[in-house]
Amino acid sequence: MAKTQTKENNYAVEYSEPVGIIAAQSVGEPGTQMILRSFHFAGIESAIATSGLPRIVELVDAKKKPTTPLSTIYLEGPASKDIELAEKVAKKINEVRMGTLIRRVVENFSKGTIRILLSKQELESEGLTPGQVADKLGKLLKVDTSVEKHAITVKMHTKNLKEIRQTMVKITKSVINGIEGAGKAVVQTNPKTGEIYIVSAGSNIEGIITVDGVDKSRVYTNDVFAVYRQFGVEAARNALARELKATLDEQKISVDIRHLLLIADAMTSTGTIKGVGRHGLSGEKSSVFARAAYEETVKHLINAASFGETDHMRGVTENILVGKQIPIGTGSVKLAIKKEDMSKIKPK
Amino acid sequence: MANEEERCYVYLNGRIIGYVDKPEEYVKEIREARRKGQLSGEINIAHIKSLNSVNINTDKGRIRKPYIIVDNKKSRLTADLVEKLKRKEIDYNYLLRNGIIEYLDAEEEENALVAFEPEDITDNTTHMEVDVAAIFGFTINTSPFPEHNNIARHAMLANFTKQAEGLYSSNFNLRFDSRGYLLFYPQKPIATTVAYDRINITHHPSGQNLVVALSTYYGYNMADAIVVNKAAVQRGMGRSVFYKTYVDEERRYPGGQKDKFKIPPATAEGYMGEHVYSKLGDDGTIEPEMHAEEGDALIGKVAPPRFLEENIGAGGLEEKMRDDSSVLKTGESGDIDSVVFTESTGATKIVKVRVRSLRVPEKGDKFASRHGQKGVIAMVVPEEDMPFTSEGIVPDLLLNPHSIPTRLTFGHLLEELAGKAGAVVGKTIDGTAFAEKGSTRMEEYARMLETHGFDRNGEETLYDGITGMPFKAKIFTGVVYYNRLYHMVSNKIQVRSRGKVQILTHQPTEGKARQGALRFGEMERDALIGYGASLLLKERLLDQSDKSSVLICKECGDIGYYDRIKRTAVCPVCGNNSFAEVEISYAFKILLDEIKSLHIMPRIKLNV
Repeated sequence: MAKTQTKENNYAVEYSEPVGIIAAQSVGEPGTQMILRSFHFAGIESAIATSGLPRIVELVDAKKKPTTPLSTIYLEGPASKDIELAEKVAKKINEVRMGTLIRRVVENFSKGTIRILLSKQELESEGLTPGQVADKLGKLLKVDTSVEKHAITVKMHTKNLKEIRQTMVKITKSVINGIEGAGKAVVQTNPKTGEIYIVSAGSNIEGIITVDGVDKSRVYTNDVFAVYRQFGVEAARNALARELKATLDEQKISVDIRHLLLIADAMTSTGTIKGVGRHGLSGEKSSVFARAAYEETVKHLINAASFGETDHMRGVTENILVGKQIPIGTGSVKLAIKKEDMSKIKPK
Repeated sequence: MANEEERCYVYLNGRIIGYVDKPEEYVKEIREARRKGQLSGEINIAHIKSLNSVNINTDKGRIRKPYIIVDNKKSRLTADLVEKLKRKEIDYNYLLRNGIIEYLDAEEEENALVAFEPEDITDNTTHMEVDVAAIFGFTINTSPFPEHNNIARHAMLANFTKQAEGLYSSNFNLRFDSRGYLLFYPQKPIATTVAYDRINITHHPSGQNLVVALSTYYGYNMADAIVVNKAAVQRGMGRSVFYKTYVDEERRYPGGQKDKFKIPPATAEGYMGEHVYSKLGDDGTIEPEMHAEEGDALIGKVAPPRFLEENIGAGGLEEKMRDDSSVLKTGESGDIDSVVFTESTGATKIVKVRVRSLRVPEKGDKFASRHGQKGVIAMVVPEEDMPFTSEGIVPDLLLNPHSIPTRLTFGHLLEELAGKAGAVVGKTIDGTAFAEKGSTRMEEYARMLETHGFDRNGEETLYDGITGMPFKAKIFTGVVYYNRLYHMVSNKIQVRSRGKVQILTHQPTEGKARQGALRFGEMERDALIGYGASLLLKERLLDQSDKSSVLICKECGDIGYYDRIKRTAVCPVCGNNSFAEVEISYAFKILLDEIKSLHIMPRIKLNV
């Protein structure tokens, strides 16, 4: 026990250790080797996620939506073993937009109708009938529809040009099947465990969770903000660190997880996710000089002047600027008693 | 007639001139006419099938390459013709005129199927390379055994060749190049190529054949360092001379004033002291064959004062002078090679002074072989301490064997073997690309070496010069052509502990020419922060940089100044005179000044 404790103490970070700088250096240095180097696995189109430096930048800047959102959806009960059941769940998730089904749209402004010619191939691959599509459209947009073969006619209540055109645009954008924002869902099998799961090219986990057969406790997405919305900051922090680690691991770059956790901690410390740049951590430093030294110098100085801000000189940047010792490492040690006051102390 | 979509349009230099129904036949017809000499040989025609068009190009600026025409699976350059060529009965132009060789541009090449050698000719072959080596450009073809090297190394080779010292011009003595590098004993390479000989570089080569052993030397040739033989250096290996020309002109100024070459009088503004001008002659310039050190004036010149003064026209004009002499720059020294007086087109007097200095290879000088293998001398070893062969041959240069495998420069090894074989036989060796297969070449060199009593693989038993013991392994030793590159420490070395600072920031200057310091940049700063070395950081960024002491008003927090007449410190804002003397970086003082210029009043509160 004592041995374990000393070990633990030896590994603990010491007082006034500049962990932030060390974290930045520990990620930054291997990051230089990462440029222009990316590996891709041959596979389905949707599963190719942004990787390498662009992905790191995306995470650290706290972009609201990842360039390639992906969700990994595990299944409950028998569906996780049976590929056919899994396909059925995937069908329910797979987002189908009207736009992909349409072959041609003809607006008739004099009659006030929109005639939609559907693609036979697309319909078949999605397992839909023109009737189903028409019903769904009718429900979604509250319009009258009629079906003949592969054509749907939408009867409008008005002959207003603008309204007809707006409805047409709405039709092409409407989600006919699956979960909106879930993207294309594909069933995959873990080659090691044989477990069947679904990968979808979207990040609407709120919607995905509602689907029957989905293991709600194991839904994962690379969209940190989606995690934040659904599960809160703590989960978002973990997701952030996990995504950073995964991106670095993919490039076979080993960075201690504690550096990444620190970055994730700093980004989520306010209760929301903040990027590290001008609009995030660096832009919200308490010191005027530290902010002015980073970006938008004049803006910060003028704002500071108009609010009569005081810089208490507690950070690193501002102390370097004026030429004082930095309050980090050896500089954090201060005299408890001044030399002159020593005589006042009586020895016990 | 073909319908509109199927028409094959004909473009002449990019402009439509018509269309044809049977493009293949049309193109063939034009080509035949060109080969017969009925059309100019500079016309190129290409049938682009994907665009269904025929492009005829006759304009300038196309890069074209000669090919031998192949008909019915047979090269038009027959053995008979080759024989005639050898006997010089016919020449290259004969081949061009008689449709045996033709030039293709990039577009017509799209229609051609080119065979390397007669054996490669198939039913569809239309042309044959004039020589297999012609698949490379001229630059690559001037290096030996290029097909055995990695292409990235060729790119490096091209750069090093530009930087090589040699006999750059045979009238170097009459030239006043601002910088000139001249190798003392240039040699032509033993391993050469056809292209190399053709462009006559052999008459002004830029390197020397060195005996190279692929061996380490007590760790002194790690990581692209090389160890050289001191005796070889003293015999003249890589020795070169460096010329630098200083130019100055007697300029005329508006107002009729003029510069004058002469020894500046002690009254001149900016006079540097008598010792600086001591080597100048009566004409104000240094004498040839004098030795000059840094700080010595080479050309003495006086110029009119920089700013016109009010009493112009008064008798005192001649006396107001400014020293504008040319002084040998810091770190430079040498002998005056030549001094020339001449005149510019504007009839002003010009002086050119050429300084010569000897550059004996020393630690830090750069060398490169012709395979993109560069190295810097790390040690000059006395001959007696160098390894030697059983015959007593001491290598000129020791190259670390680790330089070879990761860089894939097998050509370097092949040249070493070829160079050795050539040196033993007393002949140059042809290293033209694809002239022979690598294995055939190796066998040939092995035979040459064997007949002269050397190991067939080029290996030698080397003895350690220090202990006299033989090395356990046999060491590959041969002759490689090395270039001395013009990057030399003596031109680059610079040191400083304290020195000049910039006027604006009070921070040290940058750059060798200004005796500058090395920048302690942001990343270096981060490293010290990361280490927690706060006092070291302060020393670098403040004490050794722009430390300055300012007076800060205890009342209003503004920066005050010391009034030397009244002998008191004054605050320009509140007029108070209770101050604290604080050490800050001058950069921060400037920042405060600039903030004030934004109409913002920064105040410093002191914790005292």
